[in-house]
Amino acid sequence: MAYLELKNVTKSFASTPAVRDFTLDIEKGSLVSFLGPSGCGKTTTLRMIAGFEQLDTGTIQLDGSDITTMPPNRRDIGMVFQAYALFPNMTVRENIAFGLQMKKTSKMEIKKRVDAVLEMVRLQDTAKRYPHQLSGGQQQRIALARALAVEPRVLLLDEPLSALDAEVRVVLRGEIRRIQSELAITTVYVTHDQEEALSISDKVVVMNKGFIEQVGTPEEIYRAPNTRFVATFIGTANQFYGVVTGKDSVDCTNIKLSVEDLNDFSNGQSVVVLVRPENIQVQSKQPKLNNWNIMQGEIETITFHGAITRLGANVSGQRVVADITVANTEAVSLNQKIWLSFPSDACQVMAVNE
Amino acid sequence: MAKSRSTPAHASNKKVRSSGWQIFMVGSFLFYMLVPIISTYIFSVATRWDRTILPEGFTLEFYKRAFAASYFTITLRNSLILSVATVLVSLLVIVPTVYWIHTHLPGAKPLLDVLMILPFGIPTVVLALALVQVYNFPPLARSPYLLIGAVVVYSMPFMYRPVSNAIQAVDAHVLTEAGQSLGANIFQVLSRIIIPNILPGILSGSLLVFSTVFAEYTLTSLIVGARFKTFPLLLVEFTRINGNVASAFSVISFTIAWLASILILWIGTKGQTAKTESLRAR
Repeated sequence: MAYLELKNVTKSFASTPAVRDFTLDIEKGSLVSFLGPSGCGKTTTLRMIAGFEQLDTGTIQLDGSDITTMPPNRRDIGMVFQAYALFPNMTVRENIAFGLQMKKTSKMEIKKRVDAVLEMVRLQDTAKRYPHQLSGGQQQRIALARALAVEPRVLLLDEPLSALDAEVRVVLRGEIRRIQSELAITTVYVTHDQEEALSISDKVVVMNKGFIEQVGTPEEIYRAPNTRFVATFIGTANQFYGVVTGKDSVDCTNIKLSVEDLNDFSNGQSVVVLVRPENIQVQSKQPKLNNWNIMQGEIETITFHGAITRLGANVSGQRVVADITVANTEAVSLNQKIWLSFPSDACQVMAVNE
Repeated sequence: MAKSRSTPAHASNKKVRSSGWQIFMVGSFLFYMLVPIISTYIFSVATRWDRTILPEGFTLEFYKRAFAASYFTITLRNSLILSVATVLVSLLVIVPTVYWIHTHLPGAKPLLDVLMILPFGIPTVVLALALVQVYNFPPLARSPYLLIGAVVVYSMPFMYRPVSNAIQAVDAHVLTEAGQSLGANIFQVLSRIIIPNILPGILSGSLLVFSTVFAEYTLTSLIVGARFKTFPLLLVEFTRINGNVASAFSVISFTIAWLASILILWIGTKGQTAKTESLRAR
């Protein structure tokens, strides 16, 4: 049995469904991210785990006991907010001590715990300061320390890095992961930033319009998306719409694609073929490769991304993007004719149900 | 006042002459505000002041008569009871209500905002007579309790505004959830987190209510009259007997209101000494 279990959870706000039939098991000590665009229900789900929102239907179980209707202050679940939510009238030490005081911990023990978590977030010298005297990144570390001081059963993080600079974000997400693994604390992390979710999670839950689209490890989510939404929301994917014309071919108006294994589809069925830009090779001469999809296009856009350069090409009216590295291609220029090629096993086929 | 309104445009257009205009403007405003207070102070110690520009002589006689007035202590006591009771009732009603609206019913806030303008819209005479008619049964009828209820309503906007602004500024909703997630119940959240953070708003609201109620005349006179005589009632009574003694009463009233303000501020800062910085940051 999993440590934290959500079963058939639904929640609506004024008849607008926010979370629909959400069922998820979270293993003890793991870090699970809820990832999705704004309004997908990820924060609402988190707030239901915390006890700040009541469920319409369904149950939440923690460590074998039902906490569905338990008030938030009795759940023993720590939370870190996007807006830090440090108490402005208290020093850093008082902020961190607050939860322990609520638990009636002895003064000696409180001092020990506060020092320990301050060391964990590497901000020992800020104990006597007030929140407004700290930078955003420091405030969020203190908020994390405050949530961890009471040794909660579950730690919830609600877009904790959204208000911070890009640089601080990357450092702090590493810190969060390090501390989470050190303490082996069961953690739910809400974010709309796919890079953040993929880089720190044991498991990612991709959500859209209140539904779970896919649950999987970051690699599964990226390499084998279950739905068109996941494929396009996580990373970038070229989409070729067409109909199945055989056991390994899809006809997309002007382009014929050879793909692998169409056993699950019937002839004439509408499908979309997804291809990641990094799986497409770019050459100036027509390559001779068996079983590859080879097409000619004209470069319309060139975008420099540092490690890679992304080309946008027009292939018979269809826009195709491909990533190239400096090492494996010659210099490219706008309006240049190029050859794009990708193997059939780089294609992922999904049914279109319109 | 008319002058001071027309001057700022000139002042900002012609920077060279602005300092002269500014001095004139501020000077006229201070003159306008301070003359009545200063003359009241002087009048309370003047022997005769109708034939000359400055009083003919000075005396403390009127203060002696003021302190000797039969109702002096009792009216002062009644006024203090009324003011303090009103501040307390107002705090007990307004702070939890505003907090609840901000954290749990934000949709009702515009309604509350409108509701809190109403006391300004209803003439006090109408309010008083209506209350007397409706609550005409004991123990409420024409009692100090009814008066306290009436002044609470009348002075409510003065408490509501500063408290509401303060709660808005501290983002009470998120702070509450942070407190709850750390195991605090609603009373601990209020006493340890919310109230300390909105204390400046609570203090200025209390000050406004206290000084408004301490000088309240119409409601008191119409609802309780001589049954529960307050200081302003005594003062008005004396304006008909002796203007100088009435002035002395006014001065005493001012002084008490100021002392009360200083006291409230002192209590506030005492509990806040280390925290002034955190409050200033907002």
